[in-house]
Amino acid sequence: MLRFDVMTKQLKSFFIEIGELSLFTSRFFKETFKQPFELKELLQQCYQIGNRSLLLVSITGFIIGLVLTLQTRPTLMEFGAVSWMPSMVGISIVREIGPIITALVCAGKIGSGISAELGSMRVTEQIDAMEVSGINPFKYLVVTRVLAVTFMLPLLIIIADTIALFGSFLVENVKGNVSFVLFFNQVLDALKFGDVVPATIKSFFFGAAIGLIGSFKGYNCEEGTAGVGKATNIAVVSTSLLLFIIDFMAVFVTDIFFEL
Amino acid sequence: MKKTNSQKFRLGLFVSIGTIIFLVVIYLIGQRQSMFKKNFTISAYFQNVNGLQNGNNVRYSGIDIGTVKEITMINDSTIKVNMVIDKKIAGHIHKDAVATIGSDGLVGNMLVNIVPGERLETVISNGDVIKSSNKLGTDDILNTLNVTNKNAAKLTADLLKITNKLLEGKGTLGVLLNDTILAKDLKQSVANLKKVSQGASNTVNELNHMIVSLKTNDDTVLGMLMNDTISGNKLKTIVSNLEVSSSKVDSLIGNINVLVRDINSSKGAFNYITKDTSLVNSLKSTLKNINEGTEKFNENMEAFKHNFLTRGYFRKLEKQKKKAEKKSNK
Repeated sequence: MLRFDVMTKQLKSFFIEIGELSLFTSRFFKETFKQPFELKELLQQCYQIGNRSLLLVSITGFIIGLVLTLQTRPTLMEFGAVSWMPSMVGISIVREIGPIITALVCAGKIGSGISAELGSMRVTEQIDAMEVSGINPFKYLVVTRVLAVTFMLPLLIIIADTIALFGSFLVENVKGNVSFVLFFNQVLDALKFGDVVPATIKSFFFGAAIGLIGSFKGYNCEEGTAGVGKATNIAVVSTSLLLFIIDFMAVFVTDIFFEL
Repeated sequence: MKKTNSQKFRLGLFVSIGTIIFLVVIYLIGQRQSMFKKNFTISAYFQNVNGLQNGNNVRYSGIDIGTVKEITMINDSTIKVNMVIDKKIAGHIHKDAVATIGSDGLVGNMLVNIVPGERLETVISNGDVIKSSNKLGTDDILNTLNVTNKNAAKLTADLLKITNKLLEGKGTLGVLLNDTILAKDLKQSVANLKKVSQGASNTVNELNHMIVSLKTNDDTVLGMLMNDTISGNKLKTIVSNLEVSSSKVDSLIGNINVLVRDINSSKGAFNYITKDTSLVNSLKSTLKNINEGTEKFNENMEAFKHNFLTRGYFRKLEKQKKKAEKKSNK
């Protein structure tokens, strides 16, 4: 009986959380189109978010491409289909692996960063101070960050895809003696409009999810330093989960419009 | 305006349920592929679909025009395949088109290939059933290959035996392959044949030459016969003369025959001489009498030699004879 109560309470708090997130999201959309636009802060955040994650994303992308090719190569060799490697790696990286891995890495890096930053601002009452001084903290802190992540993540994903393809090319060149021109010709031949566009659209949603959850958790952080840590932790976990749900939905929608 | 927890809960519930409904709806939409296109359904009956699945492509003359919607078993040997195809392409497919089960490459997915028919019938409409053709499946091909393989194994075993025998020099072919003397003989035979053929060729050439010269040269008998028309005419007259002569000879022989018959039958002197045996007997006795007479005459003459009256005369004759002999010896 006690357990049921706990479960109900947890379920209730879960739905309340979702409700709050929904309200937070609707407020974000409202504030986005309200003047004044914090363009300077937006650009600053874009630079911070994009630049800070570039190295991490590049290394991750490179390793993904390298490992994927190394792992797939023996199986393809068994079928005598190593020549399909560039197209296979190209499609899998651009369609799925590139966006989702980069988004997960960014959820850890950017999402936790936003959450921790806003959480500490909330704990140290800086946000309250901003409200008092007449600045809209939501617009200045949340909207700029969420928009920055939304715009930067697709770019980071494109860079990660490219570097992953280079990593794959490196393996193919060393092991299979495939030339640069041949490799990228095959990759670009295999890629279709239906591969690139849904992946790019999906990455905007990934960015928005990372920014929104990170900001939401940080903005509504509980009191104390422990609250910041907790908020950051939940932000990363929830974002990761949400990313997969968004990916899942994106695949269904893409299937309808592009017939995978 | 600050929202209460209850409001937040309801909002959260609404968003969650909304998301789930959204997911279910897009899943269902995804199941019915190409729902935003104008499609219609056609079907075909097969005996074996070779692993065809829902969602496999349908191709018409190499273009992807739709997907397999449903595969149902009608009875133990008939399978109905429903296909959803693009309405734009359907205008080009006639009712006599034939559907076959194929594969996209060697290891690719199965697909339905629709091959254009004779285009004698009208264009297909929604729900039509088109003809189908059951191609050989991979299993059938492998079964046939299995039999072929066994046969090939037997063949190679036999071939091995044959080649071994050949190498060992058994049989006619083996001897041919291994016997060096035979080879030399054969070589010699071939050389001889070459000579013979050369000779034959020369002979033929000579014959040709002869024939040509016969044709062209009127000096020879044959040439003259063949080419000289005047001589021919002469020959003709000779032959006709010969005919006349032969007829005359014939009549002559007839006369001779009559004569001989007359001789045989008549009692003339010739007939008497040749046929009368009594004459021969009388002649024989006459000759006998003459012989006896002459013998007696010789005796008389011998007696006459020794007569004293004539003895001198005969001695004189002997002396003259001896003198003549002496003269001749000198």
